[in-house]
Amino acid sequence: MPIVPILMPQLGESIAEATVIRLDIKVGDEVKTDQEIIEVETNKATMGITTLCNGVVSEIRAVEGVSYSVGSLLGLLEVTEEEIARTGVDTLETLEAKNHSQPQETKSGEENLHFALDGDSYEEDPSIVPTVKGLPVPTGVMGAHYISPRMRARMNDMGLREADISAIAGTGAGGRVTVEDLERFLDYLESWPSAPASPMRLAVADAMRRSWTRPLATVGLPVLLDRLLQHRREQVKKPGLTLYLLRAFAIALKEQPMTAGYLIGEKVVHPRSFDIGVAVQVEDGVVVPAMRKVDQKTLSELVAEYDDLVDRARRRRLTEADSRGGIATVTNFGTFGLTTGTPIPLPNETLILGIGAGRKKPVWSEQVEAFLPATEAELLLTFDHRVVDGGGAGMLLNRVAVLLQQPENL
Amino acid sequence: MSVTYIDAIREAQEDLLREDDRVFLYGQDIASFGGAFKATKGLAEAYPNRVFDSPISEDAMIGLAVGAAIEGMRPIIEMQFADFSSIAFNQIVNQAATHYYRTGMPIPITVRLPSGGTPGSGPFHSQSMEGLYAQYPGLVVVTPATVSDAYHMLIDAVKMDDPVIYCEHKFLYRWLKAKSIKGEHLPIGQARIARPGKHATVVTYSAMVHEAVRAADRLQQDGWEIEVVDLRSVKPLDIDTVLASVARTGRLLAVGEAFPWGGVTAEVVSRVTEEGFHLLDAPPQRLNSRDTPVPYHPKLWAAHRPTPESISEALRKLLSF
Repeated sequence: MPIVPILMPQLGESIAEATVIRLDIKVGDEVKTDQEIIEVETNKATMGITTLCNGVVSEIRAVEGVSYSVGSLLGLLEVTEEEIARTGVDTLETLEAKNHSQPQETKSGEENLHFALDGDSYEEDPSIVPTVKGLPVPTGVMGAHYISPRMRARMNDMGLREADISAIAGTGAGGRVTVEDLERFLDYLESWPSAPASPMRLAVADAMRRSWTRPLATVGLPVLLDRLLQHRREQVKKPGLTLYLLRAFAIALKEQPMTAGYLIGEKVVHPRSFDIGVAVQVEDGVVVPAMRKVDQKTLSELVAEYDDLVDRARRRRLTEADSRGGIATVTNFGTFGLTTGTPIPLPNETLILGIGAGRKKPVWSEQVEAFLPATEAELLLTFDHRVVDGGGAGMLLNRVAVLLQQPENL
Repeated sequence: MSVTYIDAIREAQEDLLREDDRVFLYGQDIASFGGAFKATKGLAEAYPNRVFDSPISEDAMIGLAVGAAIEGMRPIIEMQFADFSSIAFNQIVNQAATHYYRTGMPIPITVRLPSGGTPGSGPFHSQSMEGLYAQYPGLVVVTPATVSDAYHMLIDAVKMDDPVIYCEHKFLYRWLKAKSIKGEHLPIGQARIARPGKHATVVTYSAMVHEAVRAADRLQQDGWEIEVVDLRSVKPLDIDTVLASVARTGRLLAVGEAFPWGGVTAEVVSRVTEEGFHLLDAPPQRLNSRDTPVPYHPKLWAAHRPTPESISEALRKLLSF
């Protein structure tokens, strides 16, 4: 039959030992769970030691009047297997297995056993499953959309923007780019040829990056240039193709000023003056000087001003006033032989009107009932879709196309 | 031959009694009984009339110490348990802490607080009070985690003119052993890198240093190198060492055994966020005990306090951010 020890229990905080003052049991006694069997006295109080389970006293080791430290063996009980199973108490065997490194009987009452944890016996309880709250994991942030403070600081050090690190596949939570990812990427780039970017390049990059934070959309339609080119040939001082566009755009915008509105918070700011910028390609970049109040001057009045502006732009002689923004921009990328494109407005503008290169095409003529050769170009309008919709942009673009068919009225 | 943490505390007091006539010990049952944890065993016999039993009034104990300090003494007060020092709170924070500011006269007392949890100690014998005292200007609060710090920091605490709250961890008393008592001696106010690493920083103190190191050992098996900073003193707080570590790792976990509301870990996270926001690659994290009184049952207690398992878990979450 299993033997269960009767031990001196921990009788209170900072109690190291207790004196047995009376034994209420003798060998052969049958005892019940929680029966008081030994009376002990500590330096604080007198109390009874109780049994942990039903059993029969098989041995008594405690002697009345003697002090025993906490954990000392005071006697033994014979207990049935069923009782062990019911109560889950430790038998002498299981206790010894647990305490193989700790002797039960310790030297007198000197040590405070309550806190005598042996170096080898400190083990975590495997039944305790830790519950640790998680971090606020950013969701749907693949790549560089979640920027940690450290990432931000490192990027600022390096002069990097989100767009610069969009090539990095993140290994962090939600696929975010961690600082380690960034450093690995920078190390990788070390082996590639590189050169510092010019201030012009950086200025364009900055403007484009800021503009691209908006939902931009582009619409287009083909426009015939023959009348315009005919008109141009008849002029003494020949206006550039872009100037026709500029003028037609200003007129159309004045009729529909809402389309050039600028969204700030919950407000749409309307144009106060119809100043239109012209994109001029220069070495390693683009500059956009603006022509002022284009709606109030005729084409012929604008020619000198336009030619001067473009000339100074190419020579990099623009003034601060020239560069101050307009409400929209015109770009003629047809000069590069390109037929179509998706121009991007400046960050402070809602619209940009572009035109591609003219091409000879057969166009059906109702008058002569035959295909006739005509010069056609793509007219494109990019707009901030928060402010303008496809319909509004289409109306504006159609109006520009119509105006271009009446160059004498510009 | 090894020495324990409590041996170091006893030896420091013996050395102080021997070397400085101004030092005396005062506390409940610390004379002939040798203290509840035997931290003053044999000292009353060796230094008669310098180790006194106090009445069971923590308020009176600190009041006496403040008076003795004004008269030029350097008393060491043993609170039987840190928890009971709440009864002396007024004397500590209103009298001892403010005295120098009010009068120009320092109060060089050292209050020993047997702190922290042990299995089955329950709500009144397990608490960690360092955060509470650190809140008050005028107090120095130290939390030694090693045998050598237990010795040297107690010596330094008594030599210091400011009132020092010396938080000794009961769990470390006999569990923590070293080859010798005297070792590396850093001044109070300077933190120590208990374990170097580069992937994340654990800032902790007292017994939790050992739990954090165990957690770091586990994570090392997966290739993670965790740096463990032992604050040593929570006030003054060595934020420079902490920031330097976070600068190396970019990730911070502050671990403390005290309750989670406010306290040392909150201060560490707050200071790092304030002064080192640009160093953080992940949200700074804290791991404390639960926001309930300390439970009596050993299993509940093990679930209540941070353990190597829960620290590892918190670190894994931090590392995967």
